[in-house]
Amino acid sequence: MAPIQLTVNGRVRTVDADGDTPLLWILRDTLGLTGTKFGCGQGVCGSCTVHLDGKAVKSCQTSLKEAAGHTVVTVEGLSKDGSHPVQKAWIAEDVAQCGYCQPGFIMSAAALLKRKPHPTDSDIDEAFADHVCRCGTYPRVRKAVKRAAGGVK
Amino acid sequence: MTGRRDFLKLTGAAGAGLVLGLRLEAKPRPGETAKAAFKPNAFLALRPDGTVRITVPKTEMGQGVRTALPLALAEEMDLDWSKVEVVNAQPGPDFKSMQTGGSTSVSSTWTPLRKAGAAAREMLKAAAAAQWKVGLDQCRTERGFVHGPGGQKLGYGALAEAAAKLPLPKDPPLKKASEYRLLGKRTPRFDGPAIVTGKAIFGLDVRRPGQRFAAVLRCEVPGGQPKTWDEAKARAVKGVKAVVKVPTGLAVVADSTWAAFKGRDVLAATTTWDEGLAKDFSSAALEAKSRAALTGPADEARKAGDAEKALAAAARVIEAEYSFPYQAHATVEPMNATVHLSPEGAELWTGTQSPNRAQGAAAAALGLKPEQVKLNVALIGGGFGRRLGTDFSTEAAEVAKAAGGGPIQVVWDREDDFRHDLHHAATLHRLRAGLNAQGGLAAWAHRIAGPSILRSWMGGQKSPSQASAEANGAFDIPYAIPAITVDYAEVEAPTPLGWWRGIEVVPNVFARECFLDEVAHASGKDPLQFRLDLLGNQGVVKFGRDEADIPRLKKVLQAAAAKAGWGRKLPAGHGLGLACHAYDGRTYAAQVAEVSVLKGKLKIHRITCAVDCGFAVNPAGLEAQVEGGIAFGLSALFTQITWDKGRTVQTGYLDFPPVRQGDMPEIETVIIASSEAPSGMGEPPVPLPIPAVLNAIFAATGKRIRTLPLTGASLA
Ligand code: FES
Ligand code: FES
Repeated sequence: MAPIQLTVNGRVRTVDADGDTPLLWILRDTLGLTGTKFGCGQGVCGSCTVHLDGKAVKSCQTSLKEAAGHTVVTVEGLSKDGSHPVQKAWIAEDVAQCGYCQPGFIMSAAALLKRKPHPTDSDIDEAFADHVCRCGTYPRVRKAVKRAAGGVK
Repeated sequence: MTGRRDFLKLTGAAGAGLVLGLRLEAKPRPGETAKAAFKPNAFLALRPDGTVRITVPKTEMGQGVRTALPLALAEEMDLDWSKVEVVNAQPGPDFKSMQTGGSTSVSSTWTPLRKAGAAAREMLKAAAAAQWKVGLDQCRTERGFVHGPGGQKLGYGALAEAAAKLPLPKDPPLKKASEYRLLGKRTPRFDGPAIVTGKAIFGLDVRRPGQRFAAVLRCEVPGGQPKTWDEAKARAVKGVKAVVKVPTGLAVVADSTWAAFKGRDVLAATTTWDEGLAKDFSSAALEAKSRAALTGPADEARKAGDAEKALAAAARVIEAEYSFPYQAHATVEPMNATVHLSPEGAELWTGTQSPNRAQGAAAAALGLKPEQVKLNVALIGGGFGRRLGTDFSTEAAEVAKAAGGGPIQVVWDREDDFRHDLHHAATLHRLRAGLNAQGGLAAWAHRIAGPSILRSWMGGQKSPSQASAEANGAFDIPYAIPAITVDYAEVEAPTPLGWWRGIEVVPNVFARECFLDEVAHASGKDPLQFRLDLLGNQGVVKFGRDEADIPRLKKVLQAAAAKAGWGRKLPAGHGLGLACHAYDGRTYAAQVAEVSVLKGKLKIHRITCAVDCGFAVNPAGLEAQVEGGIAFGLSALFTQITWDKGRTVQTGYLDFPPVRQGDMPEIETVIIASSEAPSGMGEPPVPLPIPAVLNAIFAATGKRIRTLPLTGASLA
């Protein structure tokens, strides 16, 4: 099988792996980008959320084949220095507890705000409907999204 | 002043065998040259450039110890917080008994960490005073500097070497709370920036050169063993390197996690099992046994007066049965550990709440001495008690031993994590209350029946404190009732058990506070006033191993009720419910829930929580614990683990649904100002949302729910 090319955080990467391998494991095991987390592998916890051509997708449910030729952004690539408005809002609201689920929430929040600069409460509920935070950071997630509202270009 | 070596032993308030050795030693330690650093104790290293490394002897799992504990030391030492670096302790001579659990992290380290900081501060002051030839009392410290009487100023870094040569002060003075600059202020989580940029390294993120990945094929029935299997097909999967037998099953070792998972699926299709002792275990059978145990013999956990006699004499007896299911920890980061064997020993990376025990167990599996296993405590993607267990780290050591070669990371998937959790056991509760002719509560009997988590933890041995452990939250019922009996009837169960966040207090307080609500309504009293009357004028009440300061409990109850507007007129279909508890007699909390049930649909609008946990070290962290604890408790309204043919029926977040963004109510936290020593906050908020919500549902609908989980049917 031929190597597969995709762009990850602005760099073109060539990966020699089966096309049916979930993007999650390509990121974590092949490319060493461990910011994207494995929580369930079943598409229901949101920990593995990345951007595929600007849209939030679950990388455990996205195959390498589907990502081939596309642009992937992970939490490591959201900004150079933690200066993305969502990251800044996350710090300002002191959202994280254990932090494990948080890259997934942050990636979904960034995609939501790009799509809807001023989301309503129910937009927020819907955007995170597939995310689980067992530490219960939800009240601060809501505050952080509202704080970042309007700031994502 | 004491000599160079001084061991100060402090026993944690948990009584859970937590002994923290604070080793005060002025000698440099391996890896640090004498000149490079001032290390007056195991917690602290000051470098010549003024940066400070603080070593945290507790595991960060979201509860904020990597912020709160360093703050205590930094406060006394008058550090510049921006120059502080935080590292996790490794088990070894300096840290002989690290364990994180029981909401004791702050309370057990509060004094030693402040003393460590104060000792260092006094030594730096003494070093500056000697250099300036002024009196010690003419020097003061501020944000990393010592200031002298004539405007002299020296940074800590410049004083490090001189300070390292001074003797340790024995009893350095601690600051008054009014002098605090850092403590009691809102400080954001230390690891925040690393978390939001994806740089924080959890156990599963450990990457070593040449690392391989492994998945273990375990019997779906805990304790079962593979009988026959065909390795060849699994080995043929691209990336799979080896299949090895380990005590827990068959490990598939591969060059990526995905290849290990794929190889394991292929292997599973060829494997037959001896399902072992638990193969017929079912929730239905356990429930029948537990129900029978509700009336048989039991071990006493609390006895005041003669409850049976008082019940027999009561004008009216109310009786009810409550049921709480098995639960899973369901941490978002599944269990994992990475092990690298070398000729000298082994190195282990894992998120553990019990570093010393994990080290010892891995060493035993590998035939090594504990000191030959270097254990690195990784950040934890959720602990909740699950990572007190050493099963997953020991299993990884076994895999490394069987497979040989370089570092191996053993990864559990979500289903493994549910099936092979150390589950929190189910209990049934029989409660009886006797009312006298005036409607006063004269007798209380609470029988708890179910498997013993403590026995499972003790390797099958019965501990003398088994009844009080399993009845925690029930035996320490804080209300003044003339006759009380609380007892526990053990029921055997074949699978391994473990505590979760809030331990047995969660089911026991659920039953206690809901039933008390029933009794209040039966005697025609308002549930708040009924509780306040029963708390009465008691002072500090002792019940066996615990005691509780009842006026503190009354105060949180009144504060929560006032903030929530208890007694106000509510829209149709809405109701308020409340619950309170003195957790381990140390942290006082009360919650009021506002819910609505409209057309059979439950909405939890708001939970108001008042807490008194002594001095609030970091209010921002404390509020996070309240929010998180409430989310954890609320989830248990909807989640359960059930057993059928020895297997958990639930295998993921769809059939075990914790609360999500849209389910989360608004949370209001009232912190009672206190100058008492800080107590724990990780667990005390967890038990209360369940009874508060169920009592609110009763207020809204007149429906009394006594069996969890809550289903659509129970509200219809
Ligand atoms: S790991 Fe992809 S949704 Fe859970
Ligand atoms: S912060 Fe721990 S799971 Fe979300």
